[in-house]
Amino acid sequence: MLINAPNITNRTKILQDEYYKLLQDGVNAQDILVLVQNSKKKKEFIDAIKQKSPLGSIGNLKIYSFSGLIYNYILENWAIIENSIKKGEAKIIPNMCGLEVSQKILKEVIREVDFSGYNSKTSLLHQLFRRNSLINFNNLSDEEVKKRTEILCESYSNEAREAINKYKLKSIELRAFDYVRQVNLFEFLYKKQENKFKYVFLDDGDEITPALFAYLNHIKPTVKEFYIGYDTFGSSRLGYLGAINIDFEAFLDTKAKELFEENDKIKNAKKILENVRNDKEIEFSNIKTKSFLKRNEMIEDGLSNIKNLINNGIKPNEIAIITPNSDDFLKLILEKSGFNFNFLTKNEKLNQNKLIGYILELLKIINDKDNQDISPYILKGIFIELLNLDKKQTIKIIQEYKLERDFKNSNIFDVIKNKDISEFQKLIEVYEKIRFEKLSTQLFEIVSNFVKIEREISKDIIKINQLLKQIYDFEEVFGSSVSNLELIVQLENTIISENPLSDDEMDDNSIVVSSAQKIIDYSYNVKYQFLLDVNSENWLKQDIGPLYNAWVMQKSWNKDTFELEDNIELTKDRTARTLYKLYLLADEIYLYSSVYDSLGQENLGGIDKYYKYQNSSEKKEAKPIIPRPDQQAVLDYKGGLMSVSATAGSGKTTIMLLLVDKILSGEILDNIESKNIFVLTFMESAARNFRERIKAKYPDLSELPNISTIHGLALRIIKDNNNYAKLNLDYDFEIVDEIKRNAILNEIVYALGIGADKTELYSSAISAYKNELAMDNNYICSNRLFLNVYQAYEQKLKEQNLIDYDDLLLYSLRLLRENKDILEYYQNIAKIIIEDEAQDSSYIQQNLIMLLGGKYKNIIRCGDINQAITSTFTNSDVKGFREFMKNSYNVEMDRCQRCATGVLDCANSVVAWAKEEKIDAFSNLIMKPVEHVNIVDKNAVSRAVFENEIEESNEIIKDIKNIFKNEKEATVAILLRSNFAINKWAKLLEDNSIKTYKNSESLINNPVYRICLLILEFISNPFELKIVKEIARELFELGYYDFNSVKYANSLNEPIFLRDDYDEQFYWDMTYFLFKNHYSVYDLVYEIGSFYFSSGANKDNISLVATIAQKIMNTQRNFENTVLRLREIQFKNNFSNIKFFQNDDTAQKRSKVQIMTLHKSKGDEFDYVFIPELTKENLCFSVNDYKLKENSKFIQKIKKEPKTELELKTEIVEENYRLIYVGITRAKKKLLLSTAKNYKYFGRIKPIEESEIFEGLK
Amino acid sequence: MNKIDTFSAHSLKILEKNLDEFKDKFIYNLSLFKKDDRAVLGQKFHALICYYINNFDVDKMINSLDEKEKIVWQNLEKILKDERKYFIHTEYPFLIKEDLDGWNYYLTGRFDAIYKKDDFYIIYDWKTLNLPKNPSYDLQSVVYMYCASKIFNTKNIKMRYLSLEKLDIVEVDYLNDEKYKERIEKIIQKLFQED
Repeated sequence: MLINAPNITNRTKILQDEYYKLLQDGVNAQDILVLVQNSKKKKEFIDAIKQKSPLGSIGNLKIYSFSGLIYNYILENWAIIENSIKKGEAKIIPNMCGLEVSQKILKEVIREVDFSGYNSKTSLLHQLFRRNSLINFNNLSDEEVKKRTEILCESYSNEAREAINKYKLKSIELRAFDYVRQVNLFEFLYKKQENKFKYVFLDDGDEITPALFAYLNHIKPTVKEFYIGYDTFGSSRLGYLGAINIDFEAFLDTKAKELFEENDKIKNAKKILENVRNDKEIEFSNIKTKSFLKRNEMIEDGLSNIKNLINNGIKPNEIAIITPNSDDFLKLILEKSGFNFNFLTKNEKLNQNKLIGYILELLKIINDKDNQDISPYILKGIFIELLNLDKKQTIKIIQEYKLERDFKNSNIFDVIKNKDISEFQKLIEVYEKIRFEKLSTQLFEIVSNFVKIEREISKDIIKINQLLKQIYDFEEVFGSSVSNLELIVQLENTIISENPLSDDEMDDNSIVVSSAQKIIDYSYNVKYQFLLDVNSENWLKQDIGPLYNAWVMQKSWNKDTFELEDNIELTKDRTARTLYKLYLLADEIYLYSSVYDSLGQENLGGIDKYYKYQNSSEKKEAKPIIPRPDQQAVLDYKGGLMSVSATAGSGKTTIMLLLVDKILSGEILDNIESKNIFVLTFMESAARNFRERIKAKYPDLSELPNISTIHGLALRIIKDNNNYAKLNLDYDFEIVDEIKRNAILNEIVYALGIGADKTELYSSAISAYKNELAMDNNYICSNRLFLNVYQAYEQKLKEQNLIDYDDLLLYSLRLLRENKDILEYYQNIAKIIIEDEAQDSSYIQQNLIMLLGGKYKNIIRCGDINQAITSTFTNSDVKGFREFMKNSYNVEMDRCQRCATGVLDCANSVVAWAKEEKIDAFSNLIMKPVEHVNIVDKNAVSRAVFENEIEESNEIIKDIKNIFKNEKEATVAILLRSNFAINKWAKLLEDNSIKTYKNSESLINNPVYRICLLILEFISNPFELKIVKEIARELFELGYYDFNSVKYANSLNEPIFLRDDYDEQFYWDMTYFLFKNHYSVYDLVYEIGSFYFSSGANKDNISLVATIAQKIMNTQRNFENTVLRLREIQFKNNFSNIKFFQNDDTAQKRSKVQIMTLHKSKGDEFDYVFIPELTKENLCFSVNDYKLKENSKFIQKIKKEPKTELELKTEIVEENYRLIYVGITRAKKKLLLSTAKNYKYFGRIKPIEESEIFEGLK
Repeated sequence: MNKIDTFSAHSLKILEKNLDEFKDKFIYNLSLFKKDDRAVLGQKFHALICYYINNFDVDKMINSLDEKEKIVWQNLEKILKDERKYFIHTEYPFLIKEDLDGWNYYLTGRFDAIYKKDDFYIIYDWKTLNLPKNPSYDLQSVVYMYCASKIFNTKNIKMRYLSLEKLDIVEVDYLNDEKYKERIEKIIQKLFQED
């Protein structure tokens, strides 16, 4: 019997009826094999038979899940296998272990195989696991694997084969078989044995593996009848867990009974399948769409929707939340909502569970002989959470412990044994009893003695039992060869998401949160599905890495190549099957998307593209902008190559937005969708700003145009469609951040005996060298020392699966150049490309743009040669833009509506001056004012040369005071040549009671980072009074506490937690955080953050700060060190490339002086601008007078065609002209250019030559 | 409470002793997983006997036993050797449907081995160390005999407990269907009394 139908029909019921009929006809239950997908379905099948059966014996039921059959078959027949094994100690029962044990075996094996030169070593274990699973489940012979190795052009297949073979031998020797390995034994056994089953039932036949199908094929001749239920459109596990689409009709040589009756739901579901396959949008009345900018907005809206449903009588178990991104962030927000959630996707690490975390920590202490390095924070958790000790007392004892440890080398047991506290006595007693026992015994005793086993923690007990099972497995396989401590470390980091499904507890009072696959596996039918993060690329993640490819390793793969097109088509087909099955399991579906993920990174697009987004609100029309004629020329674009020279203050961003708006509305080019538009900005902040403005304008647009920096685009190219595998990178490669890059370089520079001060120089040199490699891949630099540094650096990156920012560009360029299919893919999408700040574009960037735009050739590059100020310290290549201008239709936006007329004149005269001096720094663009807009003030610019620096600063201070006296809200800036003068000026102003606003990019300038760090420091040092005082002051300034709290904190003369000031809110809050024990730092920071920050960018930044803290914790592995490290990196701009959302701090900037470098000021504007210290040394305008620095010469030596000293000097001087031009054009109302004749250098007053600008400028 | 309708001899024993303990263990899954040496030894011998009865070659496995275990096995083998052919099942699972005032409940479990000679059935149960103190009254005997009588449709049944370490044997004769059922249902009714 063959039934082809979705499993929401009565397919399964028909099978159950047929089964029961056989029993009634007198067939013995043990002659009938029933195979269902998992243990949940097994239970359902058995229940159905129980219901039907009459009283009395029901029989010896042979109903198994797919993996259960294999497991039981091996146990029953183990003796056959044992007798055929030559090596190792015989076992009466094999170790049917979890994947954790195999991981350990494989880990040891990998050490013996030389994967030299291989890129993705950090995830090698994972890759080999996947490879092995795919080979096993697909039942691939050696020959078939070899064939696939050729198709995929694998370079490390021999090593992979060797490792897997060794692993297999070792697992035999140890008699340790996980569920993947069991497949091999099963095949060995069934081929040796006679089939005992006369009838075979199979449900969910579309989800079985080729390995299981091979078994059915094998027993087919001896089976009287098969009863198979399947869904031709199912197989949602294709290309992932080794499912295949089996032609069951051919298998049984019979026609299937089809149950796709004219039910609306099934009809719609089939339509979904068709639409996805044919790139048509899905639109049904029971599918609703919503899109947001930030992820927390999305989740909160979903929650309020859920709340409404529940208020209207919907039960929690009628709702499912489905997302591939079930992370800490989602969990914490959901848990705060007050509803119960049941998380089905078990990819959490064991120690993410608080109770287990503290138990494991206690076990570590028990098994660590020295006990010298216990984190007081962890100890606090153990004492309070496990021993139930008084909180105040705990903190005091821990302080005592810290002192005794540091001064007397005492360990924790020395400290507590003399305390007359019963909990400690019990702990010591248990410790003495179990300290030399096996880990399983220790764990059992700790839980029995210190955990109150009650119904509220039943979910924790399930997890503890899983842990116990894992430990027993380990002990059985490895005996005493693994120490308890080693075992704990191994276990606490295991994430096992691949073990077969176990019985998840489904409680009626919870909303299920799950991956799509699990909802499908369980056929979990609900009224409402909330599909979250639908535009996350994780919805479409393919199972492809350097050593595995789930498509090609399918049993049925019969092509000789694997092209990008295959990957895309197959992914689409699998997605169609998944969405089809999901649709069948709900009455109503809500699709939710957000532009950003919880780390502020842009979502790259997922299943959102298959659905029609509804317009819930009209396109928001802002006040219409009437473009000026010079701007209108840009908007008149009709396609092709266009360059836009946009002068400072010409309203470039506004016009570019209008242009994108026009393109989106289809007015410029036909058949344009969001995905066809690429916008490249220079800075990530500009890209965010651009996205946010587009999103505000089109609130229902789920997929925004591709707006990113060039690095963002490069990352997308590498990540899309698993292209990274072509670079021998695995999915979890990371981009090295500045902190790590410097640490790596420092180490190398030190090891090679080069001065530590050269790190930065080598960093620039490496970047320059990679730019050279982009031009000529075969180029080898002749500087030996540099090459040594470079090679060591590359090696270090490889070892850690890291790439740097230059690699991003280099790799993406390489992918496009070397893979025609990838290039075509992007060329077909990129119908129009708009580049901002084109004057700063590098050679690689320009190449990427030209390659991407190669098919449609609609490229708009927008920039201002006059503002090219990055070429001396980056790889930017202004010449490229000049060339482009020559070869394209050029539009000039020469109207500047920002600056007072006098400022414009000054800027224009810099251009004229350069021309006079024959310096080729500028284009011919002359800035013109906009009538009735610019302030008319011929005297807007002053120049002054003071006798000495004190006079200069006094004058500036006097001016600023005057400005604020008359104009409280004015914006004022001091622009400086170099970074190190910033602090000097900040101090000068602050000493004169002028408030300053520092560059907000360093971590510590972010209020969330600052407050969380302070409170973490307080938790780490509760006896330090000054931390508490600082917290009160900071939170007062942020408007959280009133001044009384500051007064209260200042009046404290003993640690706050020792007091009982129940009337003080501040007291309550501080002791709350101190006594609250979060095992996970992420949870702790999240709680602090969400306690104080509930809106705006601050709220969005909470998860970013929590992630930074958690990432540091993962490497430091100790709370106290993590807190120290967070303080150490406070002045860095970012950590791990996590970039904070910026607050709209315009209001905060008013009445304050902003101090920054000239470079940094680009893109900004201020009412009043001061540019002091214009000495010749700081800003030289004459090629002859310029003294070239050694570092600049060194970088040239790295290059293939080094510039001559004259060329280099000329370039730098040209850039100096543009730098002052940029500085000048920041001023809206007034500008002061100043210098002094004498400056203090190293304590001595020295005469300094003034810059030529004071004479040269007319 | 309608969640639980299936009982084993073990779960009934606990329910008989204490309702709360039963709930903790079988509804809330609150018991800790323990695998002590004795339990491991028991499993090993269960498997070994099973292979032996099913005529698998067990010599290599026997060699892997330690000296003490080898002695246990030698003694055990003496008992099983001549009777091997009379064993009809090992590790035999059962599921029995019953009615209690219109409500269905199920009894489940697994016989270690079934021995059949001349229309007479013996249910074997291997115990690692100690045998039940009052075997006729022991709930395991009650449930097993009751279920076996339903499965094999006979009252010609005995239950035989065998201690692996001591090699003691005790036998229980079949008593009375009604009494067995009464005893089982009296325990199950504890669940309803609370409601």
